[in-house]
Amino acid sequence: MNTKSIQRQLQQMNPPVPDTAARLRAQRAALAEFRRVHAKSERQPVASKWSWKSPWLGGFATACVAVVGVSLTWLMPEEGRKLQLPAPAPRQVTPAPSKTQRALAVEADAPAPSPAVSPASASARPSARVPAENSAAETITHTERANSAGALPGREREVDELSEVKVTGASIQGPGGTSANPIQSITGEEMRRQGIVNTADALQQLVPQNISTNQPTTVATSALPGPAIGNTIANLRGMDPTFGSRTLTLVDGRRMVSTSNQVDIAPRPIGGDRFEHFETNPVKRVADEPESTFSIDVDTASYSFTRRLLNQSGLRQGGGLPPMDAVRVEEMINYFAYAWPAPTSRREPLRPTVTVSDSPWGMGKKLVHIGIKGYELPTRSKPDVNLVLLLDVSGSMSPADRLPLAKQSVALLLDSLKPTDTVAIVVYAGAAGQVLPPTPVRNREAIERALNSLQSGGSTAGAAGIQLAYNLAQQNFRKDGVNRILLATDGDFNVGISNRDELKGLVERERARGVYLSVLTFGQGNNRDEVAQVLAQNGNGVAAYIDTLQEARKVLVQEATSSLFTIASDVKIQVEFNPAAVAEYRLIGYETRALNREDFNNDKVDAGDVGSGHRVTAIYEITPVGSSAQLIDERRYAASAEPAVNPRGKANEYGFLKIRYKLPGESQSRLLTQPIRQDAGVPAALRQDVTFSTAVAGFAQLLRGGVYTGALTYDDVIQQAESSLGRDEYGYRAEFVQLARKARDVGAPTE
Amino acid sequence: MDNQQLTGLIRQAQGGNSSSFAELVDLHYDTIYRFAWKWCGHRTDAEDIAQQSCIKLAKSLAQFRFQSAFTSWLYRLVVSCAQDWQRAQQRHLHDALPEDEPASGATQAEDSIHVAQLLAQLDGMGEGMKETALLVHAEGLSHAEAGEILGVSESTISWRIHTMRKTMTRREQIASNV
Repeated sequence: MNTKSIQRQLQQMNPPVPDTAARLRAQRAALAEFRRVHAKSERQPVASKWSWKSPWLGGFATACVAVVGVSLTWLMPEEGRKLQLPAPAPRQVTPAPSKTQRALAVEADAPAPSPAVSPASASARPSARVPAENSAAETITHTERANSAGALPGREREVDELSEVKVTGASIQGPGGTSANPIQSITGEEMRRQGIVNTADALQQLVPQNISTNQPTTVATSALPGPAIGNTIANLRGMDPTFGSRTLTLVDGRRMVSTSNQVDIAPRPIGGDRFEHFETNPVKRVADEPESTFSIDVDTASYSFTRRLLNQSGLRQGGGLPPMDAVRVEEMINYFAYAWPAPTSRREPLRPTVTVSDSPWGMGKKLVHIGIKGYELPTRSKPDVNLVLLLDVSGSMSPADRLPLAKQSVALLLDSLKPTDTVAIVVYAGAAGQVLPPTPVRNREAIERALNSLQSGGSTAGAAGIQLAYNLAQQNFRKDGVNRILLATDGDFNVGISNRDELKGLVERERARGVYLSVLTFGQGNNRDEVAQVLAQNGNGVAAYIDTLQEARKVLVQEATSSLFTIASDVKIQVEFNPAAVAEYRLIGYETRALNREDFNNDKVDAGDVGSGHRVTAIYEITPVGSSAQLIDERRYAASAEPAVNPRGKANEYGFLKIRYKLPGESQSRLLTQPIRQDAGVPAALRQDVTFSTAVAGFAQLLRGGVYTGALTYDDVIQQAESSLGRDEYGYRAEFVQLARKARDVGAPTE
Repeated sequence: MDNQQLTGLIRQAQGGNSSSFAELVDLHYDTIYRFAWKWCGHRTDAEDIAQQSCIKLAKSLAQFRFQSAFTSWLYRLVVSCAQDWQRAQQRHLHDALPEDEPASGATQAEDSIHVAQLLAQLDGMGEGMKETALLVHAEGLSHAEAGEILGVSESTISWRIHTMRKTMTRREQIASNV
């Protein structure tokens, strides 16, 4: 099995997404060269430089090498399939000349079943450094499918699932010799096939010799931060327990203090699905259900997630399309900016635009776009912001609802800042130090690059994380502005000052100097909440628990800048279709945002918020009365209701759009209405945006299986999108075209 | 884009149409960059290799005669740019550790070390081995395709893969006895 390691490692190499600026540089340089070449000589001499050997020679040997299919981990977010290695080599460490020091680690990116870092493991962090110049580590990665970030705090998490169990070993070449890089892994598919139902069984399969014979399983009494009592534990590599002091063991991404080289193989269930499952909105008969009600959604995470998965699938065969439930059509559509006309007053903060166009995938059907643009607060009224993010990047932050959510939250925050506002990033716990100096938001690319480079992992204690953050904030202090540190953690307040009173003192002193602190906690079951509260109160900030992106937006947008950036809250949409004009309708996306008809007028029912300048787009597909595209047959026995439903003067309306929203701070909602006229058409200025959003909607639906998209193909999507790139200042739309190409290639059946 | 469209695009670019050429580069930049990254395991170095490859593509596109798949031809071009880069690196005795990566988290640095180590192993295996391993294992090409790209026979590729595997096994045996 070990001999496969090099092949496997090569297959799993994961190049980062190319940097846009570098890409542009290369293209420009190539184009310059191209023009030079063609200016010099119109006709290049034509000569075949290379001669090709017959590909048929030696064809027999090909059969010997089976290219191993891409494992399920490729469907996982990046954080989920990192090979965990000991912390990088501290240069000054003198390696033992001959002996290979070993470390054993169990790494699972599953949310820890128990709260934050236990005192034992947190305090032990400083000693967790493994001499790396000549060291080896063995890692077991339980790549688990964490629940989507929507899980509520305190609510019992649904069963976490394994998609892959991986036992790896790695070493860093040193003068004393080398060790190989064995990786043994078993995929979710394989596990299902073999009927393996938990981690222990999977490990049995991978390293049977050590579990069954070398070291009988024992019951753990060590300071496991997880479910400590009654764990099954095995010595996987049969390592000498006397090396215990040099062992780095991670359980669920946390350092585990143990007296022997034992790892937790507590059974973890396998199978099931990672994403909240939802059914695609069905076609509805207007006669049965004339109203369609939903809450607004300004999230865009699904697009970036889908993009990541598609980019990872790369050239690998079998890389596969993203799981259907990962694709939320409305989030894909809303990722892009559309030029819906903006409202002019803060008192009427939402302005809907309705267009009607032919559906590209349904003959005889129409698409109704509802584009809503939120009022954009004039930049002048926003104070200057000097923000320092202090992020916990310890291993326990790796689940999707922790560091990844924190990153997304920050990306959201950037949207609401002025180009001249600055953001700096300091990390602690997994690594320590300044990741990004105070950088103007104008330079968003640099900030996002720094943010994206952050990965949780490692276990080294951060040094003076908080002090560094304060220093940066002071250096860049904005008089009359907002100077704030935003601490994001899952409960590890080991920010460099371990004495709580001392920490409190620092926070108070800095507050007096004008730098405030807010604490955002992520992840489930955080029992260090009181620390967060104390720090934030003393820092003139809030302590907030962030479980979802909406929550992050609320907290970040409102608190980080201490000015109210939400321009409308609890925004609900209801469309009533005219049965005289529309036979059937289908809301594209927003499945998880559906509201009951009666919720619309009930101000107690919560809905999505719209921030300054946000755009939201919803698309309905409708089948006009009399169209042959109608899916549902007319009722034979339905009473004819013609006179009642076709009041005079409204026959030219497809329906009636109603929007309810509350102004910030108000508890009573306001109503905004607009008829959907049959002859609305698409204004010339919006044509490209309507076409492009339609392309995105088509793409997202194809990824979700294309139930209602007829003969639509990825090529159609590409063509539509290419015809509607518009100005595309930041290249987002061009990137979408690339993505659609990728999906087409990945989705294409291999010969 | 199907083959026919690609062929059309290439012909237009060969005829001197710069927007077709730009599109061609745009279409393949990801492939180029990814291979370059796998070759060196380093972001900025990969960008350099990719840029050199794009420039070289501009220079030599006219020589593409449609006698092989364009991607194979492109791979060959990128491999040769990567080899050039490597020779230049060896002259500079470049430190392989990713210290000049800005803003890297711990895990990323570890990953880079991991990749650097993997690449060092491949470099140490002898001529043609790294190219072969990357094309076959990392890019998922067949032995025939890899042979075509590297200008050797398919059986040579198979032999190299086999040798590499043997070497790895031997190293592991030695290592496990340490």
